[in-house]
Amino acid sequence: MLLKKYKSVSSTNIIAKKMDYEPWTVIWSEEQTLGHGQKTNSWFSPKGGLYFSVILPKSTIEDLQTLTILASFIVAKIIKENFKIEPFIKLPNDIFINQKKIGGILTENIIGEDVKFSIMGIGLDTNIEKFPKELENIATSLKIEVGKKIDNEKILKQIVQGIKNQLKIISE
Amino acid sequence: MKLNINIKGKKRIIEIKEEIGKVIIKIGKKEFSFKKLNNKKGDISVAQTNIPKKASKKEIKAPIAGTITKIFIKEKQTFKKNQKIVSLSAMKMENEIISDFQGTIKEILVKEDQKVQEGDILVTLE
Repeated sequence: MLLKKYKSVSSTNIIAKKMDYEPWTVIWSEEQTLGHGQKTNSWFSPKGGLYFSVILPKSTIEDLQTLTILASFIVAKIIKENFKIEPFIKLPNDIFINQKKIGGILTENIIGEDVKFSIMGIGLDTNIEKFPKELENIATSLKIEVGKKIDNEKILKQIVQGIKNQLKIISE
Repeated sequence: MKLNINIKGKKRIIEIKEEIGKVIIKIGKKEFSFKKLNNKKGDISVAQTNIPKKASKKEIKAPIAGTITKIFIKEKQTFKKNQKIVSLSAMKMENEIISDFQGTIKEILVKEDQKVQEGDILVTLE
C-alpha cells in the first residue's frame, strides 16, 4: 500500500483520478474542500474526519459493484471490533450509528471498452466534535459516540486491508 | 430491385439500388454501399465498401444498468480518444463512460436522469 497524505484537497476521489494508475495507492487528506457523495451531494469534510480514496486493481464492473456493497460491511465491522458499538448499514453504501450517518462510500469508475480506472472513496466521521446545525440531527462521529480520540491511520489501514482481502475473495 | 430470400429460416427482403458510381444494398435497416469500378460495367469492389469492421465504433453502449447523470457531449460534436461521453450512476457507483477512439457523435439517444439497461445504446457515432 502506497500512502499519499495531504493536508487539504478538493476531494480525494478527484486527486486519485488524476494519479498514475498504481493499484492500492491510497490518497488520504486531513480535510476536503469539495468532498462529495453521489451526484451533487456534498460530504461535510472538516479536519478531524477520515477521508481517503483507494485506487483499485482492474476488475470487472460486476466485481466492483459487489465490492462497493461489501465495503460498507468492512467499515461497519472495523467500527464494531475497535469500539464495541453496533453500526447500522443502509445498503448499499451508508453507515449509521444511533440513526445518524457516520460514513459513506463512493466508487467511481472510468469505463471505455473495459474498466480503465477504479477508485473507492471512503469518508468516515472519526474525530469531528461538532456538526453544523443542519447536520447535527442526522450526522454523528465516532468521537461523539465513544468519547475518545480515534487513530485515523490505524482505521484507514484496517479498512484498506479489509478491502484487499475481500476483493481477493470475490475475484477468485 | 427487391429480392425475397431465406437466410437460416428467416425471410429477408434485400433491396439493390444503383446510383452514380455506386451500388447500394439494403438488408432490413442496414445499408451497404459498394463503389463501382470504372473498368467493367456492373463490377463492384468489395474492398471499398463501408461495411463497419467493428460494431463498437458505431455506438457506445451502457456497460451496466443505471441512471444517466450527465451528458458531456452534443450531437455532431467531434470527440477525442479518452474523452468523457456520459456519466452513469449505478448502485452507488459513478461511472464515467469514455470513448476508446476519436470520432463524431451522430445522435444522443438518452437524456439526463434517464434509466438505462445494460447494453442499451447511449449514443451513435458517425
